[in-house]
This record gives sequence, C-alpha cells and structure tokens, in this order.
Amino acid sequence: MKKTFFTSGTPFIWLTGLAAALGLLMIVGLLLLILVNGLGIFWPQNLQQFTLKDGSVVLGEVWEKETHDNYDTGREETRYRIKTANRDFYGLDFRWLKEDDISERQMPPTAWVLERQAWGQFFGFIIRLSNNGVALASDELNVAAQLPEWHEKMLAAADEIHQLEKGSIGSISMQIENMRLEKRKVILRRDTTTASGRAALRRVDEELASLERQYQELEKELMQRITDSRAITITLRTIDGQEKELPLIDVVRMWQPNRMSAPEKAGLYAARVWEFLSGEPREANMEGGVFPAIFGTVLMVILMSIAAVPIGVLTAVYLREYAKQGPVVRAVRIAVNNMAGVPSIVYGIFGLGFFVYTVGGTIDQLFYSEALPSPTFGTGGILWASLTLALLTLPVVVVATEEGLAAVPRSIRDGSLALGATKFETLWRIILPSTSPAILTGTILAIARAAGEVAPLMVTGVVKLAPSLPLDSTFPYLHLERKFMHLGFHIYDVGFQSPNVEAALPIVYATTLLLVLIILTLNLTAILLRNRLYARFSVTKI
Amino acid sequence: MFKKKILIAALSLLALGSTTLQAQKISVDPALPEYKKVSGISGTINSIGSDTMNNLMTLWAEGFAKYYPNVRVQVEGKGSSTAPPALIAGTAQFGPMSRTMKKGEIDKFEKKFGYKPTAVPTSIDALAVYVNKDNPLTGLSLQQIDAIFSKTRRGGYDHAITRWGELGLTGPWANKPISLYGRNSASGTYGYFKKHALFKGDYKDSVKEQPGSASVVQGISEDKYGIGYSGIGYITSGVKAIALGKKDGQKQYTPTVENVTAGKYPLARFLYLYINKAPNRPLDPLVREFCLFILSKEGQQVVVKDGYLPLPAKVVNKTRALIQ
Repeated sequence: MKKTFFTSGTPFIWLTGLAAALGLLMIVGLLLLILVNGLGIFWPQNLQQFTLKDGSVVLGEVWEKETHDNYDTGREETRYRIKTANRDFYGLDFRWLKEDDISERQMPPTAWVLERQAWGQFFGFIIRLSNNGVALASDELNVAAQLPEWHEKMLAAADEIHQLEKGSIGSISMQIENMRLEKRKVILRRDTTTASGRAALRRVDEELASLERQYQELEKELMQRITDSRAITITLRTIDGQEKELPLIDVVRMWQPNRMSAPEKAGLYAARVWEFLSGEPREANMEGGVFPAIFGTVLMVILMSIAAVPIGVLTAVYLREYAKQGPVVRAVRIAVNNMAGVPSIVYGIFGLGFFVYTVGGTIDQLFYSEALPSPTFGTGGILWASLTLALLTLPVVVVATEEGLAAVPRSIRDGSLALGATKFETLWRIILPSTSPAILTGTILAIARAAGEVAPLMVTGVVKLAPSLPLDSTFPYLHLERKFMHLGFHIYDVGFQSPNVEAALPIVYATTLLLVLIILTLNLTAILLRNRLYARFSVTKI
Repeated sequence: MFKKKILIAALSLLALGSTTLQAQKISVDPALPEYKKVSGISGTINSIGSDTMNNLMTLWAEGFAKYYPNVRVQVEGKGSSTAPPALIAGTAQFGPMSRTMKKGEIDKFEKKFGYKPTAVPTSIDALAVYVNKDNPLTGLSLQQIDAIFSKTRRGGYDHAITRWGELGLTGPWANKPISLYGRNSASGTYGYFKKHALFKGDYKDSVKEQPGSASVVQGISEDKYGIGYSGIGYITSGVKAIALGKKDGQKQYTPTVENVTAGKYPLARFLYLYINKAPNRPLDPLVREFCLFILSKEGQQVVVKDGYLPLPAKVVNKTRALIQ
C-alpha cells in the first residue's frame, strides 16, 4: 500500500502543487498588502472629537486600535492611534489616546480638513475669512458659504503665478544664462583687445542688459501678484483654541468630512488620487503628487529600450546567423549570459566611471567649456542612467532573440534561399519577422527589470527632487543632460529618509502600488503586441 | 563596584521616573529676524559638500528661489570632505559640512587665499536615543549606552548590558533582551554615535543596521524591546526620545532646544556652511543674501521641517553681524 502510494507519483504531484500554491500565495499576499495600504489613504475619513477626562479635547482621525499591558498597573488597556495633523501646532502628526481617558466622543459637523502647501494637513475650524485684515465673513456658517468661491479664485491666481514663474520668467532666465555663457565664450575664444572682439563683447553686453531689464519687469509683476494673492486669508482655530492666519492661496484642497455623503466622498477620493498622479511633490516629497517620478521612470525606460533593443538584436543576429560557430562565439555567448548575473551596482559604478566621468567629461571639455567648472554632461543625467540600464538589460535581449532565431525551422530558411533570396533578404523578410515575438519577450523582460532597478540609478543621475522635467517646451525639448526623478528611488527615499515617516508612510505604499501598476501596464502592452505578432507570423507552427 | 554603578543608575532613573517625556513641538526662536528681499540678485549657487545637509540645502535653495526666481541652484552632496577642495578650487561658493574643518584643510585654504575660511553655523543636529513608546525607561548615561551598543566597552563597564532588567526595569520587562537598531556604516550618524557615545569603540554584531534614519525609528516603533539612535527630527508617536547624561550618576537631559543649545545634552553638533570671505571686503551679494536667508526666521523654519534643531537668536545675530 505504502509502496504504491510513493511509486504512484502522487506525493510528487502534491509537492509541485504546493510549491506553486506557495509562490502564488506570496505574490497575492504582497499585492493585497500594497493594495489595502495604498488605496485607502485618499479616502476622506470622518473627524472625531474626543473629550478626555482631564477636560482637554482632541480632534482627529482614528487610524489604529490596539490593546497592551500597562507597565505601571499591569492591566490590559485599549488605545487608539489618532491622526491629529496640525504639525505646526503640535510638532507631531499622530498621538495615542487611552480608551480609559476618553469621556465623550462626538463628530463636529463644521470641522474642516485642509491640505496645505506647507506643514501637512490641518484639522480644525475656520472662523474668519478676511481681505487685507478686513473681515469678509466672521462666523463659521458665513465662512463656509463664501469659502468655495474665494478658493476657486485663489487656485486660478496660483495657476497664473505658476505659469508666470515657469513660462516667461523661466525662459528669460534661461536666455540670460545662455547669454552669460556666450559672454564667457567670447572672452575665452576671442581676443578682446581687437576691435572686432570688443564689438562682439559689447553686443553680448547690450543684449544681456536688455534681457535683465525685461526680467526686472517680469519679476516686479510676479512679486506684485504674489503679494496681492496673499491678502486673502483665513483664520484657523484648532480644537484646543490655538489660532493662526493662513493665506488662502496656500490651501491646496479643503473639505468638511463629517458633512459629506458617500458619493461626495467618492468624488473627493477620485480628485485626490488624480492629484497624486498628476501633481508635483511638496514638503521634501512627503506630500503632493509623484508626476515627475512617473515621467522620469517611463522616459528612462523608453530611452533604455531605444538603446538596448537594436544593439541586442544585432548582436544576437551576428552570433546566431553570421558568426562561425566555434569556441570564440561560445565564449562570447557565455560572457553575455554571465553579464546578466553581474550585480546591478557594478553597472552603476561602471556607468559613473565610464559614461559620466570619461565620456561626459570629454563632451564638456569639447563643447561646453564655457560652463566649466560646473559640469553639463560630466555629471549624472537621464542619458547616462538610460545607457547604464541598457548595458544591464542587454543580455536579456540578446538571449531572448537568440532563442527566437534558433526556433525558426531550417526548412523555412532553405525554402527562402531556394527561391533565390539572398541571405540578407531571407534574414530581413523571413527570419526577423518570425523572431519578433521573441524580441518583444526580451524587451518585456528588459523593461520589467529596468523599471524596478534603483541601485545603478542612484550614482548615474537620479535625484530626490529635480527642478525641471527632462522633456519640456524649451529648445531642444529633450534635455538628455538633466537629472530626473524615479519611482523606485522615490520609495526608497521617502520610506527610509523622510523626517516624518509616520505621515509619509501611506505615500510609500501608494507609490509602490503605482510602480507595480506601471510595470504591469508596460508588460501587458508588450504581451498583447506579442500575441498579435504571434498570430501574424505563426510560421513556426505550420 | 559594578553593583554600585547599577544602583546609581537605578537611582537616577527613579529621580527622572516621575517626569514623563512627551514629544515636544520644536519651534524657531521668535526673536529671529524675517528675511527681507533685496534687488539685483542673480546667478548660480553652487554647493558641494555634506550629504547629511543635502536635503537642507535643497529646501533652502527652494525657499530662496521664491524670492529670486532667476537664481539657479546646484546642490551636490557627496560628503563633508568634498567641501574644502571645492571651496579652494572655486567650483562652489558654499561648502556645507556636518563637522568643523580639520587643521590641514584650513591650512590649505589659507595657503591659497591668505585668510581662513568662514564657518556659518546653520542648524543643530541632536542625536536622540529612541526606545518604544511603551518602554518605561526615561534616561541613560553614555556609559550605559556604550555597554548596550558596544562590544569593546571603552566607557568603562566590565560587562555588556543585554537585558532591560539591568537598566532597572521590573516586571515582564526585566528578562526581555534588548534589541538593537542602528545605521549602516556609510552614514555620518553611525560615525558620530561611534565616536561620541561608544568612545570610538566598536558596535556589537547584533546591531540591526538600517538604510535610513526613518527606518531605525520605524523598527523601534514595531519592536517593543528595541533601542536605537537617530536625529531628533525623526521622532514619531511610536517612539520616545530618552534623556542622556554624560556620566553615571550625573543629571540627565532630554534633547530639547534649550538643553541642546545650553550644551547640556551630550550628543549634539552644529551643521556648518563654509564660505570664502576675504576680511574687510564685502561678500558677493548672492552669497551674502543666501546666508542671510538661512539665518532668518524662514530659513530656520526649513531646519525644523527637515528634522533638525533651529539656532537660537543669540547665535544667529552673532553670525549675521559677521557676514554683513
């Protein structure tokens, strides 16, 4: 009986099934953890007011409940972790409350949640709305009635200020900077003692002066607008009676959670998720959105693919189709396979030493010498980071393509050659198209690896906060030398380095979820494309 | 001998036991001046130096750019030792350093320019020792910390402290092992703690090394029996910063702004910004304004936001006078 059980193979089936189930369970568990923690944070929770037995009051969201043994009494007690926000008043965003200390709970309907440009959220009441110190509304009801309209105006004003800063002022600052470099170039390259040299210098100086004048005017306008917009203020009062005046323009979003219905909350939820996806980060990345990081990640992956796929495919074609099979080719193949196993930080350091310092440094000396000693290409940037990752993912593309080439049946090649096609024509028209699903598989694997890689990027161009995107509307549009932000690094930075980790932790989960989703989307697109190609070039199956 | 030490430690614990420590709100000195915008400031700020101050420099630069939208900023943070060469070569106007310049570095600077570099204190970094919020412990001496964290015990203890009972805790805590959290060796915090709290000794192998200050705090808030060190700004509601004393039996002080600036708290350091200022000659306006911005109410608020301690008005005013 026992013998037949073992020899029947049943235990082995169980074993394999168990292994598969375990792997699946771990993946599902991880995804669930990220989903639960990442999706919940944007939901507007109700604000609870706790009156404590010592008479003090606390206003906040309940985040966690736990029981523990008190050290002094040895008794078990229940307590809650309350998000009180108001970092500028209390120093911390969270505090613990003991169940035994609470004498009364209620939900004040007029309590506001404010998302602010600085200092995180505010929980409390808005008691006054004023214009230049003159009250426009001075009781809670009136304030609540007038606030939405004023806030709309302020958001529009903030938008205009932003446009002015990034648009006109940004471009004129850049022109001034270029003109300065031009001036240095003239001084460096031309003899300013000659008449033509002096004339060139004068011309540059004049242009610089005219640009400076334009700039001064714009700056005056900007400062005027900023002062004007800051005249509209609201007076905040915390639950324990502390007051503070805040320019309305510094409020990103405001709502009264205890008054909202479920559909209203759903609407707000969607708006906050959208802000997270499309907004700029604030407060050392702990608040606001992650758009620059999404943009940087995707652009880097695209640049990486542009570099890695053609080179990888050409290498594979040479190795499989043209090279004489022998010990040398075998050695090359082994080397390529082993490259896939080299730790990614080694590539990072190679990228830093070769791309950034050697190649970038040389480019700077040849073409950007007037900007030295501050480097242009001789420092980390999106180009160098993409090339480093291209090196890292090259073996994946090579191996996948080679396998695809090997799978093309000999009969098809022979058929093509027999019909009079040259070797190149056979390759170009017959073999490569039927290999394209394999090439895409390689690309998928490469993208998935590149999008999740952080270590090599840290030394080749990823920064915590990049002032401008690597792709914008100023010439030459794609700025390959710029540093960029990346979702993986964002997770590392916010999770491990941010000073207020308790408040920032939800952002880490949300960002992780986003990174997983982006990789999933990239992969799904590639898989769909591959399946369509399979359907078209299914010669191998005939 | 040893028993006596424990007794003293326990006594000092008792003395402190009555005052419960609460997270304090750090605020800037109200006597600090506001920043006032001047006209005609433009150019590029180049900063090369400490990685500890990377975040701070970036935040200051952002705040400064609000006043002067055409000022461009480049911050490079690869370590304090990269600041002096950059200042000497002129590739940066600012050299942020989390320590003072060594004599050799000052000499090299003086050889090139004929005068010494100017150190502008910008903020204070106080290192706190954290325990879980449920831990009844209120304070430790540096010797006790050395016996907890170090395997060399240069502080003088003849045996390692491994259980909470040895620090005077009773009940279910007495037999629980102490679980250690620390930073990885690349961190400046690791080096500073080693030098000042471990008396240049070595860490125990059982210290769980974390990749960031925030993850030390996270670890301790999850681990009820944990202890670790990080900057005071990283405090959360899950942990408690305990008081520290220089020696066994001496009074122990919590890391508050007052105790730190009075020099009573033993683990604190200034964070400096080094500049090149020729004596009896006015500073370049851009450099001057950036320093004045840091030494203003707004600049010091950035310090609080980034998790460090702001300067008291006395220090600020002295430094402002030096620059202007």
